[in-house]
Amino acid sequence: MSSKANILIVDDEAQIAEMISASLQAHGYSVAVAYDGAQGIERAGREKFDLAIMDIQMPGMDGITALGEIKKLDPEMEVIIATGHGTMGTAIQSLRKGAFDYLHKPFELKELLKVVERALEKRKFNDIARAIFSTVQPEEQLRVIIDSVTRILKGGESLLVLPDKDGKPHVAVSQGLEDEAALASRLEMCSRALAAPDGAAKSVLPVETPYLDRKFSDIRGLDKVAFSLFLPLVENDKPAGLICINRTEPDAYFTEDDLQRARIFGSLVNLALRNSSLYRQLQETQSQLIQAEKMSALGQLAGGLAHEINNPLSGILGLTQLVLENLPQDSQNYSDLKEIEKAVFRCKKIIVSLLSFSRQEKTHMEPVSINEAIEETLTLCARQMELKHIKIVRQLAPGLPLVNADFQQLMQVFLNIFTNARDAMPDGGELTIATSLLKTPAGDEMLMTSVTDTGPGIPRDILGRIFDPFFTTKPVGKGTGLGLSVCIGIIDRHNGTIKAHSAPGKGTTFTISLPV
Amino acid sequence: MTRKVLIVDDEALVRNYVRRALATRGWTVTEASDGASALRLFGAEKFDLVVCDLKMPDMRGEEVARRIREAAPAVKIIVITGSVSNITSPIVPGVDVDGFLIKPFGIDEIRALADKLAG
Repeated sequence: MSSKANILIVDDEAQIAEMISASLQAHGYSVAVAYDGAQGIERAGREKFDLAIMDIQMPGMDGITALGEIKKLDPEMEVIIATGHGTMGTAIQSLRKGAFDYLHKPFELKELLKVVERALEKRKFNDIARAIFSTVQPEEQLRVIIDSVTRILKGGESLLVLPDKDGKPHVAVSQGLEDEAALASRLEMCSRALAAPDGAAKSVLPVETPYLDRKFSDIRGLDKVAFSLFLPLVENDKPAGLICINRTEPDAYFTEDDLQRARIFGSLVNLALRNSSLYRQLQETQSQLIQAEKMSALGQLAGGLAHEINNPLSGILGLTQLVLENLPQDSQNYSDLKEIEKAVFRCKKIIVSLLSFSRQEKTHMEPVSINEAIEETLTLCARQMELKHIKIVRQLAPGLPLVNADFQQLMQVFLNIFTNARDAMPDGGELTIATSLLKTPAGDEMLMTSVTDTGPGIPRDILGRIFDPFFTTKPVGKGTGLGLSVCIGIIDRHNGTIKAHSAPGKGTTFTISLPV
Repeated sequence: MTRKVLIVDDEALVRNYVRRALATRGWTVTEASDGASALRLFGAEKFDLVVCDLKMPDMRGEEVARRIREAAPAVKIIVITGSVSNITSPIVPGVDVDGFLIKPFGIDEIRALADKLAG
């Protein structure tokens, strides 16, 4: 049998040390003994201990100093201090230095065992907290949470239920519930617990034999569940989800200790979830700031550069054309100069694209119908789509409110996105354009436009770069890499957002939201 | 009757091809490389058309155009520029101009505009 924990005893009185050691070993712990502070530190440096029980008055190095040294070596190791009479001051000092608790000598073994258990439980929680807080990747974090809670509360099965984006509860992660029908019945139970109007969804709630409970008795497939414990997730004081831990053995009811653990765990999880949601928000804001910074720097650069480049470029174009006038059209020089002329037009196109997001003051806002802007743009590219065998699917919601926008610029955004979609489907496909009105939880209205293609999708490693200026996957000369940068600039000026969702093989969706 | 054009641009490369593009279409061309000499030349001679850059070292093209317009209300003025702020609005603030070309422009564009304005 593997030991429950690894404990280090530091005491200069060999008799006491041996006695504690023997009794802890009898309770399944593995124990090492050191007979003074220096030895204890040396031992702790060599081996990993969960807990140290340390005498405070020892020859050579005293317990307080040794405690400090041990905490330096391993901050996660818990330390229980044993003190003699009349040393309350040192006991308090030891707590300040990070000891878990202290015991007055002589102490009873029962008392010691209790403190040891509590210290180890705290350590376990610390480990779990560290595991939960160190992951901010949502799926991974939920997996760590469900694994930990199932272990702590000795659940036979467990699930974590969160609302999806329409507010409907779904199973985010589960353990011990491979059977789909069983999982569905547990989800139904959780949905009802979540919807309970009596505030039950805000505190830890144990339920005995749920299939006999009035609230759940009509759900089929719950008869295997002997005891359930609902652990609510709370965000901003509102129910935000639920963890459900089930035990299947008939006598395995949840004790007061279990409930206490569940409460501690619950607050830990709520804190961790909030923490990682803030972290993700921070990351997003940061990347938006970086994007904005890039655009503004590029805009300034573009403005200055354009003027400097356009003069010589104009000269190249004009002189090239003058020479062309005097050359026979079938000569090599003629076709070479034609290439130069084409190259100049390419440069001109790049500069115009560059400039279109460096100018910011020229936006002409008026109430605009988004569906109309889409239809107008489609008129422009319908022919090209037809040639490429791309079917256009319109899912335009009727009766949408007008949005304050620059019609021409919106068309430019749509044209860019439609063109990208067309290029993503060289062998044909479907282009779905959908509009809808979305009410945010804050009560604001947003006009949502999504454009979905059936192309190969955008690989994950480049998805984050597609809005970067000059980033392009098209062959040299085919794309300037500025299309989506321009889109982001325009949508920014409309106080909206534009996002891309894509997975290899599953096409790409661009979602534009504009405030009404 | 020959038509006379004054080209005002500090960039010799641009003056060079605009001059040749228009000269081959029967225009008599005079060149100025800055605002002051443009105004001096304009005061000494009669022109049908002025092709004027906006950003020049000594004087803004808008100022040159404004003074020319004051002196000769009937003269046609084409503004040429490669600068950003004017790229979207073909109207030069405060000056009544007849045409606008954004650099880089080709010889056909300047010929067509000049011919159209000269009637």
